[in-house]
Formats: sequence, structure tokens, C-alpha cells
Amino acid sequence: MRVVIAEDQALLREGLVALLAANEIEVVAQAEDGDGLLRIVAGHEPDVAIVDVRLPPSFTDEGIRAAITARERHPETGVLILSQYVEPVYTAELLAAGSAGVGYLLKERVGDVPAFVDAIRRVADGGTALDREVVAQVMSASRRGPDDPLAALTPREEEVLALMAEGRTNAAIARALVVTQGAVEKHVTAIFSKLDLPASDDDHRRVLAVLAFMRSAS
Amino acid sequence: MEAAETTPTEAPPARRRVGPAAALELHAGLGALAGLVCTLLWGVTDSASFWPLWVWFGIVLSLALHAGCWLAWGWWRGARDRRRGAVAAHAAVSLTVVAVLAIVWVASGPGGEFWPLIPIACLVGLLAGHATLGELWVRFDGRAREHALTDRVDELTRSRRGVVEAQAEELRRVERDLHDGAQSRLVALTMQLGLAEAELADRPEAAAKVRAARAEAGAAIAELRDLARGISPPVLADRGLAAAAQSLADRSPGPVEVDASGLDRRPPPIVESAAYFVVAEALTNAAKHAPGAAVTVTLAVDGETLRVAIRDDGPGGADPAGSGLTGLRGRVEALDGALRIDSPPGAGTAIEAGLPC
Repeated sequence: MRVVIAEDQALLREGLVALLAANEIEVVAQAEDGDGLLRIVAGHEPDVAIVDVRLPPSFTDEGIRAAITARERHPETGVLILSQYVEPVYTAELLAAGSAGVGYLLKERVGDVPAFVDAIRRVADGGTALDREVVAQVMSASRRGPDDPLAALTPREEEVLALMAEGRTNAAIARALVVTQGAVEKHVTAIFSKLDLPASDDDHRRVLAVLAFMRSAS
Repeated sequence: MEAAETTPTEAPPARRRVGPAAALELHAGLGALAGLVCTLLWGVTDSASFWPLWVWFGIVLSLALHAGCWLAWGWWRGARDRRRGAVAAHAAVSLTVVAVLAIVWVASGPGGEFWPLIPIACLVGLLAGHATLGELWVRFDGRAREHALTDRVDELTRSRRGVVEAQAEELRRVERDLHDGAQSRLVALTMQLGLAEAELADRPEAAAKVRAARAEAGAAIAELRDLARGISPPVLADRGLAAAAQSLADRSPGPVEVDASGLDRRPPPIVESAAYFVVAEALTNAAKHAPGAAVTVTLAVDGETLRVAIRDDGPGGADPAGSGLTGLRGRVEALDGALRIDSPPGAGTAIEAGLPC
């Protein structure tokens, strides 16, 4: 797999390159700002672009903007945003910007190497990788009204729902919860039926469905 | 949104101040040139009397008048209030007249009686009289006193706003430093620990220790993140008040609805920041004293005022002298705003702030 990185802090950039190299992911180019990112995505057409939210020159949300533009211009390249803080408003913008192949993770998640590598692969394959912090915020926001839309779910089903919203495949959810994939599939069917959502085989579409459901309930 | 839109534009470049000074320099330069040319001409033509003296005299006189006007205008503009400005301008004009008299005396052949002495004494007397009378007038005339007070209040408001802005700027810098410094180092640390953990796959006990260390680093990162959000939330600077208020709403334990439909423009950052902390404090209060109560946050710009309203249907009876609410009042009033707290027992709480923007 070929990726590019846009990160202005050398310490983190070099750490990422080392981490990815140790996991057989080739970093074909690096950039330090939004314009640089667009150039290297155009030039190298990588599978995934890993982008820091905060880049020069404004050090506000340059990274998100560049990532959204990259997604529009190169729909085949997945985009994984890394940030030291997550805000649901950025999630909504990223998801709205294009089709599959998007991720938004807290930077510290890179320390959990297997999970990070899995997230990159998911995004490269056109799927989704949302940070569990974001999902947790969206979920708790959805339950604060007078009716709790998730009241009908069992605790296990809630866990499965959260992992689904992160963009994980059924197989990955089964691994995370240490159950069989069949058990997960049963839970997923039950969830979709209880929440009255149309069933979907596509992992990315079900992320959108679940998030849309939770947003509308909050 | 470019960064230029989210931060207040700096004061327009000081072109006006450069103009007059440059004009004076130009005048001096041209004058010197003209004088030199005439002197050279005289040297070449070899006339009897030193006629360029009159040219120099004219040049120096005009320069003195020009400099005098410039000085008067500068001193008047720079004065703290109108009264002092008038005295300053008078002083500048007097200085100019003194200079002109001195030049004339020098040009008419120095030596002999220094006749400008009497006019100078009169000018000094006039100036002293003006200053003294002005001082006395302010003491005894109510309206003049009022003007002086108004000017002083304007000056204090400007400087106080400057202090608040400097403080907010400082907090933004601290947040940036945290982000780029300590937080970023901790992220690099978790990366290295993660790599070490992967290399210890064949030694599960050691790997477990490294994983525990990584968890501690993660906890530190989370704490720093909360700290940073408490002093200068990134989403406020990046996306504005509506998004930041929604973020607060999402994080609060009870149901909070944000209506920012009346927010048709982004107020200046200093006002956004004050409004944000008003909402944050109000929501914290609501969570503490009215858990589970439904809260609505309304944000709207009404002409020149940003109106922030936070209402809940809880038990009411909020104590306006409580530390949180007095802090709110301080923030709002530091920007010349007004805060109203309505909290009759049993009838919910409404906090309303109006901030000029």
C-alpha cells in the first residue's frame, strides 16, 4: 500500500514514517502544508493520504480543507485525518465531502499500532475509520432528549453499534468483542430492525445510516 | 474561511502618519536644493551682495511655518482630550511664531537689541493663560467637566478592551504552545511505546507493561486536551461561535438545544470568546443545579449587539452572587456588555448577555 503524509511537525512525521515502514506501508511522499498535500496527492495518486488537521499557514483547519479538496479532486484516494482534538462538526464535513474512503482519528491512536494499521487499510479499501471518541460523543448526544432512541438496544448491541459507527467490519467487531462473526451478524440485524434502519451490506453506507440516525435523534 | 477573516484586521497601515512627515522632508529637500543652486549661481556670477541670503531666508521661513503646522496638528491629534489638544496646538503655534521671529532677527543682522524678547514674553503669557484658564474652566464649569470625564471614560474603555484582547491573544498562544509542545511530545511518546509494544510480541509480560505506560500517556494527552479546550477551544477559533456552542451542547450531560439562526455574521474574536465562556459557564451551572432540565441556547446578532440567552426549565433560584455568575458578569462587563440573570424559584433560570460587536 502506498500512502502520503501531510504533517508539519517533524517529530511526528518521522515517527509515522517509521511506524508505517515497520508495517509494510510505503510512504511515497511527505508534505508540510495544504498546498503541498494537494501536489503530492496529484503527483503520486496514493491509496491513502494521512493528514494533520492543523497545518501552516493558518494553523487552524488547513488540513481538513485540503483533505476535502483532495477528496473532491481524487475520489480514489482515501483520506485519514489525524488530530489532537476531535470535533463532530469536522466529522460531518468530512463525511459530506465525498463517497467512501475517509477517516478521522485522534493522533494518539497511532500508538495502538495494529488498530491504526487496520484503520488505514479500511480507508484504503474505501471504508470508514472514525475515532471512538467521536462516535461516543455522537451517541451520547443522541440520547439526551426526552426519548432515548437507543433504549431498545441491549448493552451488547450498543457496543456493536458503536463499533459499526467507527466503520469496522463485522469480522473486526467480532475480534474486538471476542465473539464469533455469526454472533455479530445477528446483533447487527437486530440493531437495524430495532432502529428501523434499512439493512446494508456496505460498511461505509451503514456508518452513514447509523450516524444519520443518531444525529437526527439529538 | 481564510485566517484573515477570522481574526480582526489590524489597524490600517499608518499611511496618513507617514504622509505629513514625508511632505516636510520633501519641502526641506527641495528648499535646500533651491538654496544651493542659488548660492552656486551667485558664486558663478560674482555679484556684489550676497543675494541668496533672501532665498535662504524665504526657504527657512516657509519651512518653519510648515513644520509649525505639522507640529500643531500632531500635538493636537496626539493629545488625550480636546482641551489638552487645544493647549498643545496653541503651544505649537506659539513656538512657530517664536521661531519665525528669531529667523527674522537673525536675517536682519544679529547683534543689537534682541527685540523679539517682548513678543516672546507675550506669547508665553498667552499660552500660560490659556492653559490655566482651561484648567480653571474644567473645575468650575459642569459641562466642561463632563466633556473631560467623557474623554477619560473613552480612553479607559479603549485601554480596557486592549487589555482583554491581549489576554485572549495570550491564551490562544498558550493553547498553541500546548498543542505544538507538550501534547505533540506525548503523541510521539505513544507512537514509540506502540512500536516497542509490537516488538515485544513474544514477551507478553513486558508488552503488558509497555501497554500500561501507553495508557498513562494517553490519559495525560486527554487531560491536556481538556485543559486546552478550557482556555481556548480550537473549534471556536476555527469554526466560530455557533459550532463551538453546539460542541458545548454535545458535551453536556443534559439535553441542550442551540439556535444560532440569528447569527448572520461572525462577531470579533474577543466577543466570540466572551460569549463562548458565558455559554460554557451557564451550561455548567445548569448541569450542576438543574440536572436533566432542558436547556436552550439562543445566539443572535441584533444590529450592533450580540445577544446570548441560555434558558432552562429547572428549579430556578440561582444565586446571582455565586462565583460562577459573578465571573460571567466580569467577562461581559469588561467588553461594555450587559448581563441579566432571571431566576425566580420554581420557574427556571434565564441568563441573557448583550455584547457590543
